[in-house]
Amino acid sequence: MVERTPILNFVTHLVLFIGFMLAVAPFVIVAIAASHNLKEVNDVPMPLLPGGDFWANIKTAWITAGLGPKLLNSFIFAAGVAAGKVIISALTAFSIVYFRYPGRTLIFWLIFITLMLPLEVRIVPTYAVAANVLSPYQAILDVTGLSWLIEKISGVQVSLSLGLLNSYTGLILPLIATATGTFLYRQFFLTVPDELTEAARMDGAGALRFFIDILLPLSRTNMAALGTIMFLWAWNQYLWPLLVTTDPAHATAVTELKQLIPNVGGIPEWNIAMAGTLIVMLPPLVVVVAMQRWFVRGLIATEK
Amino acid sequence: MEKRVTFSRWTVGILFAVPQMLLIFTFFYWPAGQAVYWSLTLQQPWGGGNIWVGLDNFRSILASADYWNSITASLAFAAISTGLAMVIALVLAALTDRQLAGSRFYRVVLIWPYGIAAPALALAFRFILAPEAGFMAVVNRAWPGFWDPGLDGADAMASIIAAFSWKYVGYNFIFFLAAFQAIPRSLIEASAMDGAGVVRRFRDIQFPLITPTIFFLLVINITESFQDSFGIVDIMTSGGPANATNLMVYKIYSDGFKGLDYSGAAAQSIILMMLIVVLTIFQFRFIERRVHYR
Amino acid sequence: MRKPLVKATQEGMKSMSIIKHGLAAFAAGTLGVALALPAAAAPVKFDFWFGLSGDLARVVDTLCKNFNASQSDYEVVCTSQGNYDATLQNTIAAFRAGKQPTVVQVYDVGTATMMLSGAYYPADKLMEENGYKIDYSDYFPGIARYYATSKGEMLSFPFNSSTALMYWNKDAFAKIGKTEAPKTWEEVGADLQAMKDAGYECPMAINISANESWQLMEQFSAIHNQPIATKSNGYDGLDARLAVNKTKFVQYVGDLKKWYDAGLIKIKSKDLGQDMVQAFASGTCQVILTSVGDHGTVGKTHKEGMNWDVAELPVYAGTERKNSLVGGASLWVLSGKPAEEYKGAAAFLNFIHDPKTALFWSTNTGYIPVAKSGFDYMKSNGFYDKAPYKGRETAIASLTASEPTEITRGIRLGNFTQIRAEFGTQMQAIFANKVSVQDGLDTLVKNGDAILDRFQQTYPNKTLP
Repeated sequence: MVERTPILNFVTHLVLFIGFMLAVAPFVIVAIAASHNLKEVNDVPMPLLPGGDFWANIKTAWITAGLGPKLLNSFIFAAGVAAGKVIISALTAFSIVYFRYPGRTLIFWLIFITLMLPLEVRIVPTYAVAANVLSPYQAILDVTGLSWLIEKISGVQVSLSLGLLNSYTGLILPLIATATGTFLYRQFFLTVPDELTEAARMDGAGALRFFIDILLPLSRTNMAALGTIMFLWAWNQYLWPLLVTTDPAHATAVTELKQLIPNVGGIPEWNIAMAGTLIVMLPPLVVVVAMQRWFVRGLIATEK
Repeated sequence: MEKRVTFSRWTVGILFAVPQMLLIFTFFYWPAGQAVYWSLTLQQPWGGGNIWVGLDNFRSILASADYWNSITASLAFAAISTGLAMVIALVLAALTDRQLAGSRFYRVVLIWPYGIAAPALALAFRFILAPEAGFMAVVNRAWPGFWDPGLDGADAMASIIAAFSWKYVGYNFIFFLAAFQAIPRSLIEASAMDGAGVVRRFRDIQFPLITPTIFFLLVINITESFQDSFGIVDIMTSGGPANATNLMVYKIYSDGFKGLDYSGAAAQSIILMMLIVVLTIFQFRFIERRVHYR
Repeated sequence: MRKPLVKATQEGMKSMSIIKHGLAAFAAGTLGVALALPAAAAPVKFDFWFGLSGDLARVVDTLCKNFNASQSDYEVVCTSQGNYDATLQNTIAAFRAGKQPTVVQVYDVGTATMMLSGAYYPADKLMEENGYKIDYSDYFPGIARYYATSKGEMLSFPFNSSTALMYWNKDAFAKIGKTEAPKTWEEVGADLQAMKDAGYECPMAINISANESWQLMEQFSAIHNQPIATKSNGYDGLDARLAVNKTKFVQYVGDLKKWYDAGLIKIKSKDLGQDMVQAFASGTCQVILTSVGDHGTVGKTHKEGMNWDVAELPVYAGTERKNSLVGGASLWVLSGKPAEEYKGAAAFLNFIHDPKTALFWSTNTGYIPVAKSGFDYMKSNGFYDKAPYKGRETAIASLTASEPTEITRGIRLGNFTQIRAEFGTQMQAIFANKVSVQDGLDTLVKNGDAILDRFQQTYPNKTLP
């Protein structure tokens, strides 16, 4: 950086190179498996020299799983989740960190607790909500007697229904409803010097102005990190998309990919399955590369 | 943690929180509330009816030796895999942040493990860790019987820890890197002018400044090691051998999802949730004190 | 980035409806739409969810295409849910929200849960109402009884079916001077020892996970006419409890363990790098016990020039062999769907039952025909004489070895998936020398009974049909 440190530089390169090898080894194995024919891929041990069937396997996987439109679906879905999280979490964290109001701590913990119970565990009741997203509100109206009251007064029977199955909304919204992002922003906002806020207020900037003009630009690297991670996370989601999208037109690439995985008692076509996996793993790589340009060193000094 | 300077119009402040509150109420609290109800009943899976049983589900779970075994295994898994994933990622991120030649390239590659699809992870690790066919076969040739995840619980546990840590190094790496990059270059340069070496700069300036991220990742890693481990267990060991890797979320999943015991699974979810809440409160109370926010 | 989100929300809003019954005009509008629908001559669509993946999913897809092409009134939309567990779970979630498919594939051990669900439309009734005559005596009794009620009604139709066989390497047996597969376990023990002495590293491969409960415990018990549980394996009531710690099964596990300790049996599983089928196909191991469904896989992946065949599972000397159990899944029609979809479902089940479909199905998968007519049709087509399929008739012989007894009809136990998991756990504990054979099986029974007890409590006042 500033001084010459040849030994440390060597160690740095060495450690990073080992890290690189460890990170890449599984992908290499997957790629090699995707290049074999049925017999080679099932040999023990699998030959480590690539076989000659790579493109044939890629083609088979692409066609049988119909990956083209599914990749687009996956992209919309994962981008939607990532964007939703990046935006909504920022709003909430701003509210929690920069305002004083009764119940603020409660709101923080209410959001935080959503980290503790994964979707897999509450998938059946969550599905019921997605089938009619207004059902909780209907139930509240019913239980509180409000719907009875409304019916008595206006003669209108309240029956709320809004189905989200087989829609991008249904895919995306439930996955946004967790706390990772809020927590990350909170951690970052707390490090932003108070002097900045004071200066903004002195200039007569309101909360919204401060949020958009100062806080968000400062959070750029964190937003990039969060967006990348959430994109990868959403991209690899399996159970929820499978359940919500019964219409093949909305299916995602990973749900289709699972159908390439050999069945117990079926032919162990791991070469095809791995070729499919390789295709499905490429778009996230592109996203990671594209997000790189957001990783720029913070420009605004935070001296105390 | 509190900010000294805040905005006064708190009605506006609440408005900022409304979208997320609506989302979590609809898609988290309402369904989770149903899970709480299930935990107090015996629920017929197809919705044909249920019987109120009070705390019986909790009693029978807490009386089961298998369940306590599952808690122990989960805690061990959480501690070891969080430690490994965080330390390795921290070292890699700190070194990448030195921005020597090729750092742009490492940035992409080291995040990549988090993007691996589950079947690929399983296949790759099976190949690496299989005692008879993979790289571990070489070790076994030197010390026969050394590595046997099929029957030795400790070996199976080591396998899933390796796979999980591998994946989460990518996750932690990106957030550590973001944190390092948020440190202004001027601070580090000023310190270098004062004659502080690389190691001292890391200890005195960079490390304190990234403690908020360390705290964030610590909480998230522990939480995810309870939750995201499910997929890895499912494809690598299915909870075996002899329940050695039957982690809490996997047990919830297999009891509820495969065994259709919704009530028992709901009760286990609630215990799991309380356990993580306790762990998290502990972290907020005792560890967050050491975090330097300014 | 934000754009798709906003657009999607609008799409969701469109389907929002607040129905106001007081407004006649609005009601008339809804009615108008309903009346307009049948005017369009589009085929009636209905959903079929299934639990197969890989090449088997592709075969099911082709089956669906064939059905859709065979007539123009109905269109079946077939969706793979990945595996059996996910199919059942997703169907339940959908059913609870009123979005269930019309036809669903449910695995063998889910039968008890389905029968108590109140969520199905009896298949035999469906066929009768829609004017299809199905000769139920045409089904192989071993298959029909597994899925039928204790009174013999077919609430679901058998679909993909298999049974367990012994795969043996003819070359290895030739080395020890044998040309026939061993018929008794005593003989197997001697042969394995002989192969070991002849230098074979792995005379026989087994695996001991939850999946192998099927061939090791369930099939073994059936062909030896040993109960798995009381109350005729659960057919006679939800108060059935496990019995496997007091039957011949104890001796069997003891022998397997003894052979394992002597190095005659090796454990082979996916997580060890090589599963049983691979170990057999590569010539590493000489004997395996697995489904006839793997016949195709071994045929396609076996080592160049290797001679192999299948045989019925061995029995202990002096045992009168009974029929083995069917494995696989059946097709259930779910309740709460419109009449025209039921018509489509009936046509679909009728299509599946057709002998020609049986031939197509068995040619493209390792599964066996479920009905005598299908089997006869395939025989008359010379199916079992052709090289890759030769030997699969052994499965039919095994399934029809005897008239099913009270015990060999099948297994009707609640949450049997969890009992299988418990089987895997205890077998692993036994083979890792953590517990003795008897202790392990006692624990299996104890934990399994707790599962059954819980199941019974969940369905108070209910009885199996």
